[in-house]
Amino acid sequence: MKISAWLQKPWGWLVILGLAALLCGAALAAAGTMKVTQSNQSLHAEPNFSGTPIAPVPPGAEVNVATISGDWYQVEYQGNTGWMHRQAFAQTQAPKVGLPGMLFGGGVKQTKSDEVALAGKGFTPEVEAGYRQKNPNMNYAQVDRVESYKVAPAQLQAFIKEGGLNP
Amino acid sequence: MRRRILLGVCLVAALGLVGGCAGMDYTSVANIALKTAPKVAAASRPINDSEEYYVGRAVAARILSANRLYTDPQLTLYVNEVGETVARKSPMPNTYKGYHFAVLDTSEPNAFACPGGIIFVTKGLVLMCGNEDELAAVLAHEVAHVANKDGINSISKARWTEVLTTLGTETAKQYGGAGGQLVTLFEGSIDDVFKTIVVNGYSRGAEEAADAQAVKTLQKAGYDPAALEALLTKMASKSGGATGIYKTHPPTADRLAKLKSETPKGTPGKMEEVRTKRFQSIKM
Repeated sequence: MKISAWLQKPWGWLVILGLAALLCGAALAAAGTMKVTQSNQSLHAEPNFSGTPIAPVPPGAEVNVATISGDWYQVEYQGNTGWMHRQAFAQTQAPKVGLPGMLFGGGVKQTKSDEVALAGKGFTPEVEAGYRQKNPNMNYAQVDRVESYKVAPAQLQAFIKEGGLNP
Repeated sequence: MRRRILLGVCLVAALGLVGGCAGMDYTSVANIALKTAPKVAAASRPINDSEEYYVGRAVAARILSANRLYTDPQLTLYVNEVGETVARKSPMPNTYKGYHFAVLDTSEPNAFACPGGIIFVTKGLVLMCGNEDELAAVLAHEVAHVANKDGINSISKARWTEVLTTLGTETAKQYGGAGGQLVTLFEGSIDDVFKTIVVNGYSRGAEEAADAQAVKTLQKAGYDPAALEALLTKMASKSGGATGIYKTHPPTADRLAKLKSETPKGTPGKMEEVRTKRFQSIKM
């Protein structure tokens, strides 16, 4: 059927409007600005933690989101383009996206809690809570203590320099 | 029929366009997506970074239930400095929540790499190391196990398939909650990993791959790449029986021979003395 014939039918206009909506939706899918809320976050060259980070991104920094792929957001920050994990934005609003965003794999509106945002995945904070309830003898207090061990970047640099190691 | 399908698609898309522009709250739509997406994902996917992190935390909690943490701040900081120095030169410089190194208060030499980046080294193994480069070798080897996902990969395929199947049913219905079946599967996964990294040890292939990676990491970091060989030779010369590190990371003749063939030869630099001095200055 020719396009002119489509336009003579009422549903033909709907088809055209629909196609326009799909195209527009693709463009709107992931555009937006997000604020980094967590410390020790970096831009990564690929959507994974392998490789040396491109640049650190401090808490409070606003980044422009280009695309979203699973847990990873491709963002632009201070002239650098790279990937940031969803954890960087925990407990904040994701960019405003509508159904088009979801149709095209863009970000959905996040809930306020990172825990709830992770629901629907396999091993989550809720599963850990269930495990801890079932196994109260597991020493999670000490795990939290170990997770607090962190070397300040300046201190690490000084350590590397003092030992004649490669930065 | 085709017209109806086409019309349906267009109506949904148009609704999305109008709604998206108007900033509508799509909570109910998101809920539907959350309920159906896991079913689609259940087809097949590997364990992701956050899931690995929660498994690692549970394995660490189990290790710390049986072993006391050695909390001396000077040694803890030093081990983290050495650990971070090698981790940043490894194939995985960062993890979901970062690397954290800790010392276990036991004289039995051993080291454990929990999935996600918590790495334990015992006081006994630190004492066995003669210098900082050998400690770096231990930590580079454990970081390689994390990077190679040797711990997390010990979760049985059947168990993980069951997790994915469960995701398509129970969790989707209990948005925000954890199903009892998932907790049971989580427990089983912790058992799988614990048995590998604490009880039985890694496969010979995983050990050799971690050795080879550790040598590369040491070299990139500026440490003596021969430090791992030196430590393993020392371990092999002591009769450790079949417990502790002699079971989890056995220094077999084959392993040593392979490591020797892969280790570049070099002469210790002046800075190695500086590092050895600061290693010796740590009181234990």
